[in-house]
Amino acid sequence: MTVDVTSSPPFLMPPEGLQALIEQLARLGYHVIGPTIDQDAITYQPIDSTDDLPRGWTDVQEAGRYRLERRDDEAYFGYVVGPHSWKQYLFPPHAVLATADRTEDGWQMQTPDDDPPRFAFLGVRACELAAIAVQDRVFTGGPYVDPIYQQRRDAAFIVAVNCTLAAPTCFCTSMGTGPRCTSGFDLALTETADGFIVEAGSDAGTDLLDRLPVRRATPEELEGAEAARQQAVDQIERSMPTEGLRDLLLNNLEHPHWKDVAERCLSCTNCTMVCPTCFCSTVTEVADLTGDHVERHRQWDSCFNIDFSYMNGGVVRNDIRSRFRQWLTHKLASWHDQFDTSGCVGCGRCITWCPVGIDLTEEVAAIAGAPQRTQPADTVRESAP
Amino acid sequence: MTERPDPAVVDILRNARFLKGISAEDLDKLAAIATLEPIKAETVLFQEGAPCDRLYVVASGLIGLDMCMPRRGCIRILTVGEGELLGWSALVGRAAMSARATVLEAGTLVAFSAKQLEDLCDRDHDVGYAIMRQISHALLKRLLATRLQMLDMFGQSSNGAATDRTQDTTTP
Amino acid sequence: MSTVSVACDPRNPWLARRARIQRITSETPGVATYDLVLDVPPQAGSFSFRPGQFNMLYLPGVGEVAISISGSAADQTVIPHTIRQAGNVTRALAELSPGATIGLRGPFGTSWPDEDCAGRDVLLIAGGIGLAPLRPVIYDLLDRRDEIGELTLLYGTRSPDSLLYAREYDDWKARGLDVHVTVDRSDATWKGNVGVVTVLLDRLPLPRPEQTIVMTCGPEVMMWYAIQSALQHGIPAASMSVSLERHMNCAIGLCGHCQLGPEFLCKDGPVFRYDRVAPILKVDDL
Repeated sequence: MTVDVTSSPPFLMPPEGLQALIEQLARLGYHVIGPTIDQDAITYQPIDSTDDLPRGWTDVQEAGRYRLERRDDEAYFGYVVGPHSWKQYLFPPHAVLATADRTEDGWQMQTPDDDPPRFAFLGVRACELAAIAVQDRVFTGGPYVDPIYQQRRDAAFIVAVNCTLAAPTCFCTSMGTGPRCTSGFDLALTETADGFIVEAGSDAGTDLLDRLPVRRATPEELEGAEAARQQAVDQIERSMPTEGLRDLLLNNLEHPHWKDVAERCLSCTNCTMVCPTCFCSTVTEVADLTGDHVERHRQWDSCFNIDFSYMNGGVVRNDIRSRFRQWLTHKLASWHDQFDTSGCVGCGRCITWCPVGIDLTEEVAAIAGAPQRTQPADTVRESAP
Repeated sequence: MTERPDPAVVDILRNARFLKGISAEDLDKLAAIATLEPIKAETVLFQEGAPCDRLYVVASGLIGLDMCMPRRGCIRILTVGEGELLGWSALVGRAAMSARATVLEAGTLVAFSAKQLEDLCDRDHDVGYAIMRQISHALLKRLLATRLQMLDMFGQSSNGAATDRTQDTTTP
Repeated sequence: MSTVSVACDPRNPWLARRARIQRITSETPGVATYDLVLDVPPQAGSFSFRPGQFNMLYLPGVGEVAISISGSAADQTVIPHTIRQAGNVTRALAELSPGATIGLRGPFGTSWPDEDCAGRDVLLIAGGIGLAPLRPVIYDLLDRRDEIGELTLLYGTRSPDSLLYAREYDDWKARGLDVHVTVDRSDATWKGNVGVVTVLLDRLPLPRPEQTIVMTCGPEVMMWYAIQSALQHGIPAASMSVSLERHMNCAIGLCGHCQLGPEFLCKDGPVFRYDRVAPILKVDDL
């Protein structure tokens, strides 16, 4: 199903081709989701025309700060990532998992009809491709597969976009996730002055290319695209020390720095909401008025919520310190034990959308700079008589 | 006090967990001042508040320790069994016994006169040091056990594992 | 020691199967054992699990609760669960009568190392309701008593009236389980041990500590000190297992609630070898 990117020749599509791409996807029955401006931010929502795209706009991001500004060109994709990620479509914030009906024979449990639209994602960045791959492992890579995620994921068509700039909050290069899109997409676009360089990454992508106004790209056009992509690499400012990071964090669970962060953190859950890999949820019961028809609903939750760890008369993580530590050590350390990969893709959203500007690259640097331990802690033992 | 230690007593002392780590030579010195006392069920060994002049190592049997107070009556706070120390107040306290000791299951005690034991320890500091070290360790364990009892770990808000992982449900 | 068995409908792990309450046995105040039978073909009357595993019991309209299976793994029809009333779901369950139907998902989780016990001495240390997840081990080991060396149960509860399965102790003793019981708080008629269960451990001869397997289940503080004491007696950390507890919501490793450090208690646990979890057990608020 995937096509070797290097063997499929890149094409050039004129700027008008973008509208044709959207129309072709719709004609094939896809529900096209793409970037669009809403509430002063670039979000991912259903679109049906290039008019919906934030053409000529860019985002200005820093820790705790996000603004939109006009560019001095008419680029369609001249920005990075906003508060939305694609997880809201593959792992919907709210879903019905099962139903139960009271019958004469007793309770009857059933799987609800789940007939989601087939999504086409337009504008998926490299870090987001990595995030989707991470969630693929979480939801479909273990002994229990989530059918809701699986169904949406199998049907999704992905049009990736190579970044030609980076925000100060980006650090995909440290995490090995970008900025170049190398796999996991059906089509990948690089926006240049000449138009879009288009690469196919799958059979479905190759098929779609046949319906688009494309021609072979010239070497000069390819160089131009490469230079544009290099800009993104050159603009990366932040970095995350990944070497030995898992051990560093799990060996320093009692480090005094956790308390420092806790004094700033509001436990507001923003970071987990915008993070493209966070997957915590809660299942609750919803009954109708008769009580004879009941549904099991799943909703996004967050380890920062105070009752997330509630158990029989008490909350295990009863202070912000322990909840922040849980989030960061899960994301950067435990994730490796659980899923054989980091949970962080370096998209920088948590830095931008934290209302007090907590920057996880700084917090990690603080612990790395002055670790309490480099070896695992021994357990406490009573000395022998 | 006998000249040569009774081998039966030596045997019991050697096997007492409380006295593990004491050298054979020192054990003999202890055995020389110890006597074996059989105990019958329902006997009261000593009352709470009685003067402390004897201490014991339990060779076999079970002794209940109670503390009594007005209106609530007598509450069993602990039972002491094989290999454990009883009546330690006699050596390190010297005021009064801090609980009433009642025999629950018949058995045998190794009894020491507090005065003789104290004299032995004063004369022979090596034995004295070994005894005090053992008593410290026994008290450490008993303190930990008492704290665990105080924690009331089976109380309302805590349960044993694995049978009650109740989730919060939201009512619609 | 343990295998995660994939126990749900492979098309939808969120879907519960219907089970019927066959019998309810009152055990101690607030605690009862519910015998469940799967109701709907093709699984009707057929359920297999490993000792230590748990089910999610579902009361539609109220919610789900994780309950360890407390019966013999040799019985594939009746599935007993010993349940203490503590929250919404367990209280609603206490209102039901035999014949009522509920939902069941499972079995989930890892199991006790009862298959590694041949030729070894086995020491079971339980506290309170923690005896329930160990009872399947007791049944299994008594069924093959001649394969096992010394077999001992140390059991402590708050008070004499909360001693679980007391009616069975004589039978267990007769079949070769050495049972020692203690309570934190005595009552007027109790003539047995008073004190915490860890004290009982110190009275055991433990002739072959390096060949002894320990399985413990109860309040975390009790398990911790029992293990520290066992370590002092020379029992290796790798020969000891604990059963841990955190909030369970989905039981299939997808909701994140049950995490303790890197472990998902629903699929990496609840039974763990002690040396695996030792470093994280004493970290506050983890």
